[in-house]
Amino acid sequence: MAIFLQLLFTGLGIGAIYALVALGFVLLIRAASVVNFAQGQFAMVGAYMLVVCFNVLELPYLVSMALSVVLMGLFGVIFAFVTYWPLRHRGGLPVIISTIGASIFLENIVLVLYGPSPAVLPGLFDSPGFQVGPVFMDSQYLSILVSVALLVALQYFIFEKTLLGKKLQATSQDKEMASLLGIPVAGMILFTFAYSAMLGGLAGMLVAPVLFVSVGMGGLIALKAFAANIIGGYGSIPGAILGGLALGVAETLGAGYISVPYKDAFAFAMLLMFLMVRPQGLFGEKISEKA
Amino acid sequence: MLISRRHALLGTATSFAIIGRARADDVVRVGGIAPITGPAAEAGRFLQNGVALALEAINAKGGVLGKKMEFVVEDDQTTNPGAVLAFSRLVSRGDCVAYTGSIRSTQVNAIAPDVLKAAKPVMFGGTDPSLTQAGNPWLFRCRPNDSFSARVIADFGFNTLKKTKWVIVHSTDAFGNGGMKALVSSLDAYGIKPVLVQGYTNQQTDFTPVVLAVKQAEPDVVSSYFTFENDLGIFARQLRQLGVTVPWVGSPSIINTTALNLAGRALFGTYGIADYTPDASPEAKAYAETYLARFKAQPDNQSTWVYDALMLLAKAMNDAKSTEPEAIRKAIVAIKGYKGTEGTYNFDEKGDGLRGYNVVRNENGKIVFDKRVEFTS
Repeated sequence: MAIFLQLLFTGLGIGAIYALVALGFVLLIRAASVVNFAQGQFAMVGAYMLVVCFNVLELPYLVSMALSVVLMGLFGVIFAFVTYWPLRHRGGLPVIISTIGASIFLENIVLVLYGPSPAVLPGLFDSPGFQVGPVFMDSQYLSILVSVALLVALQYFIFEKTLLGKKLQATSQDKEMASLLGIPVAGMILFTFAYSAMLGGLAGMLVAPVLFVSVGMGGLIALKAFAANIIGGYGSIPGAILGGLALGVAETLGAGYISVPYKDAFAFAMLLMFLMVRPQGLFGEKISEKA
Repeated sequence: MLISRRHALLGTATSFAIIGRARADDVVRVGGIAPITGPAAEAGRFLQNGVALALEAINAKGGVLGKKMEFVVEDDQTTNPGAVLAFSRLVSRGDCVAYTGSIRSTQVNAIAPDVLKAAKPVMFGGTDPSLTQAGNPWLFRCRPNDSFSARVIADFGFNTLKKTKWVIVHSTDAFGNGGMKALVSSLDAYGIKPVLVQGYTNQQTDFTPVVLAVKQAEPDVVSSYFTFENDLGIFARQLRQLGVTVPWVGSPSIINTTALNLAGRALFGTYGIADYTPDASPEAKAYAETYLARFKAQPDNQSTWVYDALMLLAKAMNDAKSTEPEAIRKAIVAIKGYKGTEGTYNFDEKGDGLRGYNVVRNENGKIVFDKRVEFTS
């Protein structure tokens, strides 16, 4: 039982990171019908921003984090102007290719600017964690879980309770109709890019103390986040969160009880199973209806 | 992908071009693959530092056959396909007399068939014992192989630390599997069967399941073959967090500069088997001093093996008075008693040059030399 609880806690912690990146994916799919393959690199860029603010400029930790999140928002807008805007009327595929290109560009530009040395960031708290009964609660995993919970609550509040949220929802449902109603559709899409980059960046900053900061860190997370997206339901917000958590728990439990070398296989076996048995995912609409 | 990586590469390639710019017929060119991008990009930088020091040393002493030695590098992207592509680019240039391969066994494995076709000497640093046993006459190893590292780990853990309940944690790639098998058979010689042999795939985000398996096995010593420092760092931190405090004897990655930076306190008190450590010999010490003065950092085996590789190639070509592949090959095999930074090289027909390892301790982040163990075969 002790082992189960420990694995469950870790699985939820890692799953929350997948969820956060998956959430960024979903928002862009909904608002702009863009599958952003650079979402993982958003996490990497965010983590490097924190490294620069905290390790190089030596600002306080929380200030560095807040500043990095704001910078990520700005980065998201620039990203939208470069990769999405010029191609927005040419259908989905050119934009997807453009985001793939951007992901490679981002990894290499960081490599050139910062160099290949991986960086170490301390966690939000000085203590590595504490023992609750048989389970060691890693303070960084706890921070990740709490942050994700807060973000989900905030997102729910924005989308359901504010006018901005209503406008965003209207834009994602029907751009033409939203435009006729006087909603600035372009502004809404740019806002979504900014918000999605902030989420991705924050995921990178939160996971940095666990995974270290290296150029390749985004790729590791993004693939799983994308799988989480499919499992939860393509384009579904609660699906992305539950999918991420389920994936983290499934691979950690699979590794703990069945086989460590096949850890990644559990995640992708779960993806395959969903694609075969329930292709619309946990919360998704049927794909056939979308077409 | 190709274009941007090539751009990243261009800067490095240019710097080498500047070091040894000369007319084509005035130089002896050696080609090498290196991880300039990808997870081992930092190791790739260390490798290039080693190359720069070797070229300076060789060319200051008159170069090779009166010509300057030059090095051309291609990015292997820290992947096997990348390594194959990089090596074939080097071969298709047609102007390299010999090559350096990878420190990663899995990549040496990947390029081995092309090495056979290229039919020119390739110096490499991967330690999977099987690499030199497949009858490929062009592969020469500039580090001791893992049959020796495993014997040293087993000897140190059993005879010095007096431990009998062993856990082996290893990567499932060629290097990690090779090391694990060698260690299992070395322990067998002492009548020990490990209580747990735990593999993991490279580039993990979390090691909790591995650490819990180790903890449940209740070992009195942990041994390890880690390929990537990131993995080692995450494992080390989680091992300590979940309360495993028994002695840990690791393969050379445990004392790599990158691993020490990443894992910090979590590696204090561990033991490492090191092919390179500054206090092992006067040559190793001199190299460390030059490296420190030049790059303001401590060197590790990521740069020493390639430094030795180029020095050995220069020596072989000067001894043979030729840059013909077969002549170089024979001259390398004939090298006996050459004192390099990694130890004293005595090449055999198979292409293994070194048969010794150093045991070191991590004392609060400082690597302290314990002893050197040499084997004759």
